[in-house]
Amino acid sequence: MSEKEMGLEEALGDLERIVEKLEEGKMSLEESLVLFERGMTLVRFCNSRLEGAERKIESLTGEVPPDLI
Amino acid sequence: MTQIFTVTDLNERIKERLENDPRLHDLWAGGEVSNYVNHRSGHRYFTLKDHDSQISCVLFRNTGVRLGFELQDGQNILVFGDVAVYRPQGRVQLIARGIRLDDGQGLRYLQLEALKKKLTAEGLFSLERKRQLPRFPERIGVVTSPHGAALRDVLRIIGSYPARIILSPARVQGDGAEESIALAIRALREKTDVVIVCRGGGSTEDLWCFNSELVARAIFECDSPVISAIGHETDVTIADYVADVRAPTPTAAAKMAVPDMQELKAALVQSHARMARALWTVLERKKENLDYLQRQVSARRMYSLVADARQCLDWMGERLVVSQMETLQATKSRLEHAYGRLAAVGPEATLRRGYAIARKSNALILNSKDVQPGDVVELILAKGRLKARILETEEEYSG
Repeated sequence: MSEKEMGLEEALGDLERIVEKLEEGKMSLEESLVLFERGMTLVRFCNSRLEGAERKIESLTGEVPPDLI
Repeated sequence: MTQIFTVTDLNERIKERLENDPRLHDLWAGGEVSNYVNHRSGHRYFTLKDHDSQISCVLFRNTGVRLGFELQDGQNILVFGDVAVYRPQGRVQLIARGIRLDDGQGLRYLQLEALKKKLTAEGLFSLERKRQLPRFPERIGVVTSPHGAALRDVLRIIGSYPARIILSPARVQGDGAEESIALAIRALREKTDVVIVCRGGGSTEDLWCFNSELVARAIFECDSPVISAIGHETDVTIADYVADVRAPTPTAAAKMAVPDMQELKAALVQSHARMARALWTVLERKKENLDYLQRQVSARRMYSLVADARQCLDWMGERLVVSQMETLQATKSRLEHAYGRLAAVGPEATLRRGYAIARKSNALILNSKDVQPGDVVELILAKGRLKARILETEEEYSG
C-alpha cells in the first residue's frame, strides 16, 4: 500500500513494527537497510501529514460560524 | 336505551376502566401526607393532598418497599404507583410502590433514577460495551451548539491535528434540545471515527436535556465511540453514563480525542532515532565481524607474523652458525690432529735432522748406480730444495 492511501494510524503502526523488527536485529544487513528505508519513508510521510495539516471544519447543516473558518 | 346498573356493576365498570388505563400505571404523584395510619396489619394508609384536592393512598406491607424514613403528616412526598379502585367503597386510590421525600427537585430525580435503572437493565451503561477511542481519528464529529464556547475549546485543543472536523449543530438547552441533540448524533452515522458530544457549564436545568432517554439511546446507537463532556466536572448526566468515555470538560474531551501533536512529533523523532540506532547496531556488528576477519590479515598481524618468522629464522640461523662453527672446529682439529700424525710419520722430521731426499725425475734415488755423472738431481732439504749435478758415483760408501 502506498503512503498516500494510508492513514496516520496505519503509517505509525507500520513504523512501530519496523522499529521493533530492526531492534530485534535478526535480519541481514541488506534486509535491515531495506526496512530502514521503508521506515524513513514512513517517518517522512507522517511528518508531512503532521506539518502540512490544515484544520478542515465542515458542518452538517452547511453553516460554519464565521469565526471558525 | 337506559341501563340500570347495580352499584357493584357500576363500581366494577369504573374499576375496570381506570385500572386498564396505562396512563394511570407507573406514575408519580406528589403532594402532602395527611391522615397517616400505620395499621397493625403492616399496611400503611394515608391521604395525599395538595391545596384543593386529595386522594387515598395505600402502601401494602408485601410490596417490599423500604422507605428509609418515617412517614408523617405534613410531609411532602412523591408516590410512585398505580391507580386502583376499591370496589366495596367505590374509592379511587393510589397503590404505592415507592415513596420518596420531595425536596422540590424530587420528581425529576426520581424519574432520573428510574431511567438510570431502566437503561442499566438494558445494558446501556455496561462497561463491556465501552469502545476504545481511535488513536489517530481522521474524522471527528462534534455535537454541540455552533455558538458555544465548548466548540471553540474543542477546536483550540484539536489545533493543527490533521483531521476533518464535522460539526453537527444541536440546541443544547431549552425546548426541543433533547430531540435536537439526538438528531445531531444520529446525523453523524457513518461519517466519523469518534464523536464528541459537549456543552459548556450551566445550571442543572440547562444540562437536563442530556438526562433524556432520547439522547441516551442516540449515543448508545452511535457507530463511533462517543466522548461526552457536559458542563463541569461535577455534572454527570445520563449521556455521560452511556458515552464510551466521559470527559470532565469539552477541553478534556478534545484532548482525549486526538493525540498530542508535540508527543506525536517527539514519537516520530524517537522512531527515527531508534531505527537509526538499530541499523547502526547491525552495522556495528557487521563491522566487528569484518574487523575480526580483517585482523586475521592485517598489516600488523603480518608484521607480527613476519617478526615471528624472522625470530625463528634468526634462532635457526644462530643454531646453524653455531653448528657450522662446531663442524669447522671439529674439522680443523681433526685436520691438525691428522697433520700432527702425518708430520710424525713424514720425512720432515728426518730432514730436520740433516738428511735430504734425493730425487731424479720425481723418483727417489736410493742407489748410486741409478745416476750417472752429469745427471741433474733434486735434493729436498728440511727447508728448501736444491738442483745439483752429479760429479761422480761410488758403488760403496763407508762414511
